[in-house]
Amino acid sequence: MKKRLIFASVLAGLILTFGLGGNAMAAGESLGKCSVDDYVEKYGELGLTPENIAQEENINAIGEIFDSCIEAPSPIIPEINEVIWGGGAFVVLLALMLWKGFPAVQKIMNERSEKIATDLDEADKAKSEAQAVKSQYEAELADAKSAAAAVIEEARQQAEVLRSDLQQRAEAEIAEMKEQAAADIDTARERAMGDLQSEVSEIVVGAAERVVEANLDAEAQARLIENYINQVGSN
Amino acid sequence: MSDEKIQGYARAILAVASAESNGAQIEDEIYRFSQVLQSSEELKSTLSDASIPSARRQQIVEDLLDGQATQTTVALVSMIVAAGMGSDIKAIADRVIGLGAESRDKAVAEVYSVVDLSSDQQQRLAAALKSATGKDVEMKIIIDESVMGGLLVQIEDEVIDGTVRTRLKQLREAF
Repeated sequence: MKKRLIFASVLAGLILTFGLGGNAMAAGESLGKCSVDDYVEKYGELGLTPENIAQEENINAIGEIFDSCIEAPSPIIPEINEVIWGGGAFVVLLALMLWKGFPAVQKIMNERSEKIATDLDEADKAKSEAQAVKSQYEAELADAKSAAAAVIEEARQQAEVLRSDLQQRAEAEIAEMKEQAAADIDTARERAMGDLQSEVSEIVVGAAERVVEANLDAEAQARLIENYINQVGSN
Repeated sequence: MSDEKIQGYARAILAVASAESNGAQIEDEIYRFSQVLQSSEELKSTLSDASIPSARRQQIVEDLLDGQATQTTVALVSMIVAAGMGSDIKAIADRVIGLGAESRDKAVAEVYSVVDLSSDQQQRLAAALKSATGKDVEMKIIIDESVMGGLLVQIEDEVIDGTVRTRLKQLREAF
């Protein structure tokens, strides 16, 4: 709708300007009539005759007549009819513009302004929301960083506690192993000593048994019996 | 086996032995048979096996003691085995010699030795034991190679050990 109004206004202005402007030019005085009239007037004043018309000064005089006749119009001041037609067209165009164009343009401008304002408001709103979201993200990021730092610190403390606990446990185990090893060594030594003593006693007693058995003949048996009888009887 | 039953069998055997003129020999033979039985687990289990007919067990006893003991001893041991008391012969025999010695105001002295003791040695040993314990004793000589040498005398619950085996054992423990 707006485009059609603008197009109609422009078309009307072109028609009024160029179409009616052509009629104004046709209503002016022609170059031929001006020349004849000036020539007739000058011819009587100069006393031209068919005999002296070919003289040089007369030819120059005739040339001046024609030069004066074809004098150029003013480059600044327009023709009256052009002013009238142009002014009328301008007024009509101005009226059309004031009546339809300007309100339409104003409406478009207002709508555009409102749209831009709305867009700006929405942009501001979106910016505010984005800012809020950004702030929220930053806060969450800060919280996350803080939480991560807390987690890292807690993990570090737990690792430290675990390391300390493992170290203490390892030291305790080492001490226990040393103690156990010492006890095992003592036990092994005692066992070895016991075994050695047992073997020694076995060897000694075995040797003694063999010596005793070898010497336990009838005479020795009789002597042992006698000793037993005497010992029992002496009690 | 209950103690009353063993006691009853022992008194019955003593009654039979006392009726015979060789009562002391019968007691001694029964005691020696019990010692033989203790040294043979196979014989002991055979005479105690209820699945073997009593006639068979009696025949084994008679075969073993044939010519080695009096008929009365054979009959008494055969009677014990036939009564199913083969596993109690040792307890019965110990009770028999104990009651027999007790009836004669004596105590039984079991003497373990590698060699047999002469009668002189037995008399002097009996005197020495009486001196030591204040009891008259009837000695039962038991030949035991494990004592190696010397004597071991057991009177009731009292033991007087003078064997080489015990001396060596003490020596082994001293190390």
